[in-house]
Amino acid sequence: MPISESYVHDQLELTSTEDESSLTIRFSGKSILRDPAEFMMPILITALQSVTSSDKRLVLDFRELAYMNSSTLTPIIKVLEKARLGASKVTALYKKNVKWQSISFSALSIFKTPDARIEITGVE
Amino acid sequence: MVNSTVEEFLHDSGIGADEGFRLTMIACELVENAIKYGHFQSELEEIQLTLKLTENTVTVQVRNPVSDTSRRDLRELDRTIQWTRSFQDPFEAYVERVKAISGEPLEMSKSCLGIARIAYEGRAALDFYLDEDGSLSVSAVSTFA
Repeated sequence: MPISESYVHDQLELTSTEDESSLTIRFSGKSILRDPAEFMMPILITALQSVTSSDKRLVLDFRELAYMNSSTLTPIIKVLEKARLGASKVTALYKKNVKWQSISFSALSIFKTPDARIEITGVE
Repeated sequence: MVNSTVEEFLHDSGIGADEGFRLTMIACELVENAIKYGHFQSELEEIQLTLKLTENTVTVQVRNPVSDTSRRDLRELDRTIQWTRSFQDPFEAYVERVKAISGEPLEMSKSCLGIARIAYEGRAALDFYLDEDGSLSVSAVSTFA
C-alpha cells in the first residue's frame, strides 16, 4: 500500500506518495510565496536522497499546479541539476494542453538526459 | 490578492483565459519585485499597479517608492533588462538564466528569473524610469497574439 504524506504552506500543497518503484511529489494549488525554496527545498532534497538510495524514480507532478511565481522554479531547477549530475532518476510531469505549464516546463528540457534518466514530460 | 484582482479585471475586459493568465503573471512578477526591492517608510507609501488596454497592446505598470540605497538594485534591474534585450529570442535569455541558476549553490534562493520570464512567457518588452519624487515605475508592454 502506498505511503502518503502532505505538506502545506500558504496556497501550495505538496503531497508525497511512495510505492515499490517510485516516489511521487504532487504539486497543487498556487505557489506565490516570496521564498518558496525555504519550504520546498528540504522536501525535494530529502525525496531525491531517498530515491537515490533505494533506486526508485522521483516523479515531480506539476499537473495540478494552478500558478507559480518565478521564485518557485529555483528549487525545481536546482533539484533537476543535482539529479542530472548524480545518478538519480527523475521525471517532471506537466500538462501539455495548459498553455502556461507547457511554456514554463518545456524550457526545463535542457535537463533531460539521452538515457531518459531525467525526463521532462508533457502529458494530455 | 493581486492575482485574483487582475484576473477578474482582465476577464471583465473580455480578455481570454490564456492571455489573462499571461498578463496576470506579468503583474504578479512586477508586484513581487516591488515588494522585494521597494522602500516603504510608512503605510501611506504604496505600490501602484496600472493596466492599460488598447486594441493591440496591454501595458502593465508597477510603481513603488525606492530609497537612495536602492540605487544598486536599480543598476541591477537596468543590467538585467538590457541583458534580456540583447537576445534575439527571449527564450534564449530565459534558458541562459535557468542554466545560471542551476549552477548556483542549493542554499542560494534568489532567482532573478522574473524579468526573463516576463520577456519570454509574457512576451513583453520591459522598461523603467525614476520619477522626480524618487518612485520607480517598471512597465511591461505586451502585444496580443
